[in-house]
Amino acid sequence: MNTPADEGNHNLRYAEYVLGVLDADARAEVAHEVRTSSEAATAVALWQRRLQPLAEEITEATPAPYVWARIHDALQLDAPPQAVPRKRLWDNLALWHWLGLGASAVAVALLLVVALPRRTPPPLPTTTAVAYMASTIKQDNGTTGWTATMDLQHARMVVVPAAPATLAQGRAPELWLIPAGQKPIAVGMISRDQPTTLALAPALLAQLGPTAALAVSVEPPGGSPTGQPTGPVIAKGAIGAAPETGGDKVAGNARKSTERPRV
Amino acid sequence: MAVTRTAEHEELNRLLQQAGRSDQQAFAELYRRTSSKLFGVCLRMLHDRGAAEEVLQEIYITVWNRAASFDAAKASAITWLTTLSRNKAIDRLRQRREELPDDPRTLDEAVDEQPSPAAQAQTSQEHRRLTDCLDALEPQQRSSVREAFFSGATYNELATRCQVPLGTMKSWIRRSLMQLRTCLDS
Repeated sequence: MNTPADEGNHNLRYAEYVLGVLDADARAEVAHEVRTSSEAATAVALWQRRLQPLAEEITEATPAPYVWARIHDALQLDAPPQAVPRKRLWDNLALWHWLGLGASAVAVALLLVVALPRRTPPPLPTTTAVAYMASTIKQDNGTTGWTATMDLQHARMVVVPAAPATLAQGRAPELWLIPAGQKPIAVGMISRDQPTTLALAPALLAQLGPTAALAVSVEPPGGSPTGQPTGPVIAKGAIGAAPETGGDKVAGNARKSTERPRV
Repeated sequence: MAVTRTAEHEELNRLLQQAGRSDQQAFAELYRRTSSKLFGVCLRMLHDRGAAEEVLQEIYITVWNRAASFDAAKASAITWLTTLSRNKAIDRLRQRREELPDDPRTLDEAVDEQPSPAAQAQTSQEHRRLTDCLDALEPQQRSSVREAFFSGATYNELATRCQVPLGTMKSWIRRSLMQLRTCLDS
């Protein structure tokens, strides 16, 4: 039987659990209690009611559209992924969905997007500010390792793995930007099996362009200790402009090589 | 404001209940309305956009799988969702610390310590009551409780950050929690 003192201490543990100060083991114990004892569940719920209002102070932040696309895929929902409005390429779920599927189709399609001459309508003047750039980062054996999409306006890049590269244990892929005739500039560590979003510093943004390339080298998990690639380069790709239009068209390009008029 | 807020909360309760009956449209709408809030929670605790995105994904997968267990009589949908989000984010923090004992935190997201005036104007009666009770605490204890809530840090980490012995941090927080309970339940 619990003495009143035990009860007090116990109750404190539930409060500490809700506040979030317990270490992993103690947390797991309380979480187990909550699942198996209705008293524990009630005590935790009471503390949540007391403390949770603090969460109202947290500033909202809009997640990138591909997060919903990933949830949609993971749960194999059949409703169209329409939770987010489709406007620009970056915000186009179809594109993220499709990039997320990986495989070499992505490489082919992106290459087509980037490389195919536009038939109708005639190409836009090159003076038009390019809002997005893309790169297919290929491994030595010709398969696509990653695809990178760069949003210049928001100074960020999303790198989506296509075929996960096999690396030695304790090694991680690092992405580099190589301006023509210059030394590589570190962009950041990327994941082998999940999309990675990287912020692009102004110095990097200034170097992005059709003469620059992206490369992936094998480094220690924290990144190259020297600021230059120390391990072998396992993939590289040229950078090209990506069109600022709907993703349907991008996908359509892969199959039909036709374009709809710009909206 | 209060009326709008209640209506919004009831709408979220309804959407979560519908998601519990496998209504995909309701689930998509729930995501549209709540993902910014929950992503804010993840970012605030994890300080890393990539990790926050992964945890947000886990959260909504759990929401879909567990929505049927949601009981509006026990907690509102938004409380249920933010609680789940904090738990997932804390679990991730604990995992990460075990992988990286040095905990090299990269603060690549600027996070305000205090709510913006606009955010404050929209807070609920419950929030004002809680902040009144927090205000009654000693300043150091109040900021320890707030830091604990928003960062998901362990006693050990809080003690290191505030440069006080572990025992001091534990007694600050425990005393604060008891005081808060008395104040809130009165």
